[in-house]
Amino acid sequence: SVPAASETTDLSQLINKLLAAGNADHKYVEFDFLINGQFLRVPLVTHMEMENISTEEVVEIEYVEKYMAPQPEECIFHDDWISSVQGTEEWILTGCYDQTARIWSLEGRSIMTIAGHTEVVKDVAWVKKDSLSCLLLSASMDQTVLLWEWNVEKNKVKALHCCRGHAGSVDSIAVDCTRTKFCSGSWDKMLKIWSAVPTDEEDEVEEGANRPRKKQKTEQLGLTRTPLATLSGHTEAVSSVLWSDAEEICSASWDHTIKLWDAETGDLKSTLTGNKVFNSISYSPLCRRLVSGSTDRHIRLWDPRSKDGSLVLLSLTSHTGWVTSVKWSPTHEYQLLSGSLDNIVKLWDTRSCKAPLYDLAAHEDKVLCVDWTDTGLLLSGGADNKLYCYRYPATASDVGA
Amino acid sequence: MEQARPGGESAEELTDSGESVYSGLEDSGSGSSSAGEDSDSDSDAEDGPGGSSPPRTHAKGAPRKSKTLEDDSSLKDDEDLLAQNEYEEDSSDEEDIRNTVGNIPMEWYQDFPHIGYNLDGKKIYKPIRNKDELDMFLEKMENPEYWRTVQDKMTGADIKLTDEQVELVHRLQRGQFGDVHFNPYEPAVDFFTHEVMIHPVTNRPADKRSFIPSLIEKEKVSKLVHAIKMGWIKPRKPKDDTPTYYDLWAHEDPNSILGRHKMHVPAPKMKLPGHEESYNPPPEYLLSEEEKLAWEQQEPAERKLNFVPQQYRCLRAVPAYPRFIHERFERCLDLYLCPRQRKMRVNVDPEDLIPKLPKPQDLQPFPTTQALIYRGHSSLVRCLSVSPSGQWLVSGSDDGTVRFWEVCTARCMKTLPVGGVVKSIAWNPNPTVCLVAVGVEQSVLLVNPCLGDKLLYGATDQLLESYVAPEEERVQPVQWVTATAEQHGKGVRLLVQHSKAVKQVTWHGKGDYFASVVSDNSNMQVLIHQTSKRWSQNPFRKSKGLVQCVLFHPIRPYFFVATQRYVRVYNLLKQELTKKLMTNCKWVSSMAIHPGGDNIICGSYDSKLAWFDLDLSTRPYQLLRHHKKALRSVAFHKRYPLFASASDDGTVIVCHGMVYNDLLQNPLLVPVKVLKGHTPTLDLGVLAVLFHPTQPWVFSSGADGTVRLYT
Repeated sequence: SVPAASETTDLSQLINKLLAAGNADHKYVEFDFLINGQFLRVPLVTHMEMENISTEEVVEIEYVEKYMAPQPEECIFHDDWISSVQGTEEWILTGCYDQTARIWSLEGRSIMTIAGHTEVVKDVAWVKKDSLSCLLLSASMDQTVLLWEWNVEKNKVKALHCCRGHAGSVDSIAVDCTRTKFCSGSWDKMLKIWSAVPTDEEDEVEEGANRPRKKQKTEQLGLTRTPLATLSGHTEAVSSVLWSDAEEICSASWDHTIKLWDAETGDLKSTLTGNKVFNSISYSPLCRRLVSGSTDRHIRLWDPRSKDGSLVLLSLTSHTGWVTSVKWSPTHEYQLLSGSLDNIVKLWDTRSCKAPLYDLAAHEDKVLCVDWTDTGLLLSGGADNKLYCYRYPATASDVGA
Repeated sequence: MEQARPGGESAEELTDSGESVYSGLEDSGSGSSSAGEDSDSDSDAEDGPGGSSPPRTHAKGAPRKSKTLEDDSSLKDDEDLLAQNEYEEDSSDEEDIRNTVGNIPMEWYQDFPHIGYNLDGKKIYKPIRNKDELDMFLEKMENPEYWRTVQDKMTGADIKLTDEQVELVHRLQRGQFGDVHFNPYEPAVDFFTHEVMIHPVTNRPADKRSFIPSLIEKEKVSKLVHAIKMGWIKPRKPKDDTPTYYDLWAHEDPNSILGRHKMHVPAPKMKLPGHEESYNPPPEYLLSEEEKLAWEQQEPAERKLNFVPQQYRCLRAVPAYPRFIHERFERCLDLYLCPRQRKMRVNVDPEDLIPKLPKPQDLQPFPTTQALIYRGHSSLVRCLSVSPSGQWLVSGSDDGTVRFWEVCTARCMKTLPVGGVVKSIAWNPNPTVCLVAVGVEQSVLLVNPCLGDKLLYGATDQLLESYVAPEEERVQPVQWVTATAEQHGKGVRLLVQHSKAVKQVTWHGKGDYFASVVSDNSNMQVLIHQTSKRWSQNPFRKSKGLVQCVLFHPIRPYFFVATQRYVRVYNLLKQELTKKLMTNCKWVSSMAIHPGGDNIICGSYDSKLAWFDLDLSTRPYQLLRHHKKALRSVAFHKRYPLFASASDDGTVIVCHGMVYNDLLQNPLLVPVKVLKGHTPTLDLGVLAVLFHPTQPWVFSSGADGTVRLYT
């Protein structure tokens, strides 16, 4: 039995004493405590009152090693707003409002600036990373998605394909797990699936009278590519797409719905209906949940498998502005990252839905994009032209009882 | 025989007998049998000293009574033998031998001439009674003893009462005891005192058993104790002290006679006297000569005053009122004849009078919080417009620029310097045309913002370039000028140059025509332009006042022109005035039309918002006064039942304005949200308000140089 008024620090000291008693060379570790899958954030008695747990019962308290605060690493300056970011083990790819995409090293060194779009780059994605050359994608407001090949050794970039077909700004792209296809969502309410495999031949483009003029423009931008399939069903702009598995595409739209599509047949599988415009969604294969950020201050968790329509499993509320970007942790099934118009990036644990684990308040303007790499790097970019990197130690979650 | 009598005539009959005596006396003819008995016994007493009273002693039973009667008998004995043994004559032998029939009802012998038989078996005859009425009367007149003569029923003989007997009768009649010597008020002797004495009445020692507990009682008590233990005997219930009243009139019928008293209608009060009734009225109440003449010629019933106001020097000089009785009579007639009706005072809860408005949270969605601020303008932002897709926002400012914004990120995508104050801006509502009309100083610029679909804005440019000038030059009120190369690079395609400063531009729903308002006082205030033909016309021949703003009907060929106080609705096809709406406002500032086309809202500088239902009336259906300062702009949402008003007090008020398809149901207007955010500068607050075309979001631009988005 522990005192009812004890807080996490008291409990942590208690566990440490016990561990030190058993193991002589034990180092002090900060712990966090879970009661029925909820993080303890207040004194024990208050938490139990809030959760309606009787003090007479035996309460099982799990302890996990406390997640250390993310350590700020780099601040990468851009020339304009950062619209999108995607990191890998070695490089960071950002899309920028100055119509370029940029490749950065993890240390913040600019490696490559990819210019070619005639409008704002809205989204970027890595397709393939080989030792010699990398394939990457950039989607822009100029209604095209460009497939680039980046030769790492020579540090040369070449536009392989120009994916044409959208009639609006392409806001979101997502590459599937086989790295051979990608999907794009656009302001023109359409989703289009494209091949991500570079070829040498140009697709047939049925263009009308003004073909010569268009062709002139596209000459230096690689071969034109047309979509493999078009998924239409949204009634408003598509704001975010992702592949939830090899055959399923998830799309969020301004028409207040999240739609799940079969990528093979192009059929609509199910629809989750919210009541606000969705800005961003993210899917975690670890916990099989969708998380959405919308034009209010809530982050909502959805079960895409649920057949009974729209059911919000959980909503995380701490932001004060629109949630522009959300991202699940690739390694941890409970953690996610969110960026908002209130200039704050928040690190969440779904077991503590009342308050985030950490607030990363470095940005001076709107946060537009966040990303979380496998190596435990948190990236966030925004309207203050800065890309912030945080090192987040991926702790092995040793759970005791 | 006397012995048998008390057995037959019970004690109660005896009491009766007293009465019978009197009645017998009074009736004087038909003496009752008991009276006869009495007289019989009395006559007996006459005969001998031993009267027939002793048997009565037995009859009475009560000692005191018997004493009385004994005294009674002793009364008779009084005269001859005093203090004799009173029981001496108590012998049953001495019976009245004249009556041999015994105690039988005498009417059995009524029809016989005799009563009974004597010892020899001979009939004993009744005295002959053959007197007729006349004889009776004569005897009554002549016989001085008639009044004391009674008939003995037993024998049928007449008996004359003695003086003592008469005296006795009188005494009894007065309610006195029959015995003269009996004193009813003898002093009482207390044989047993009521007071508790210390000594016992008897000297007997207490029994032994009084000291020994009684076994029987013990048994009884133990039985009771057992019963109490077993719960068979319950303690007595405490008596209910509350008196059992009940409402006597609870179920009374209010319409019954008593109920009418409750519905008493008080008489109306008389009118209090006014100045004209004064003895010295102010001169204006006095009738002039012609008024007096007219008064006299009027019918008495028609007169407004039923008297002529008179003036007297002082109250003393006022004569008696000659019509006083008449007036009282009239009043009584009024009270009597006037039908009175009970005024049903309805008890209305003031809460009920407030119309039932739904709660704002039930009317979601509507904008509630400020989401984005579009910063960039350096001066007040006068006008806003949003692209039909909802992706782009354009704003015009006093700093001489037009800025294009990305709605969802507040990114300024383009800045177009126009070199003048931008008074009005309008994005072409046709989604296939990408064109913005900007009213700058004396010209309207048609700008292709080159945002959105490339094909679309390319097509728009082609559309504008495809214009072929007509062969013959037409006289136009404005000049259409193609933009220079430098302007073309910025996006400006055409300039429509007016002669005066342009106040407002607005597009027709199809996107080909647009109207512009210039600040002028002539009939050239409103012009309608056709973009594809570059042709302008002046629809009005006459000026109807200072035009504030104009508006195209979204569906029908109507054109709304708001002047300072009125909104005129013109039919463009028939070229006539259809309606004139009275705004009830001092100065209309702005106007917006419901997408259904049947409802209009007008904002005014006197901080009122008038909602017109065109089907209902030309007057406002509702006048909303929510703002504290002048309204600058009003807007309707295209899809949601929302409208908003922007005011100089720095607020935007969003209202729910539901228009029903049912013609009988009036629109439902509920204010749902006050949006604050703009800081009023230079006494100007929010200058423009606009809804997002697809989302329940509202944009507002203010004098602080910002544009704000509320979601």
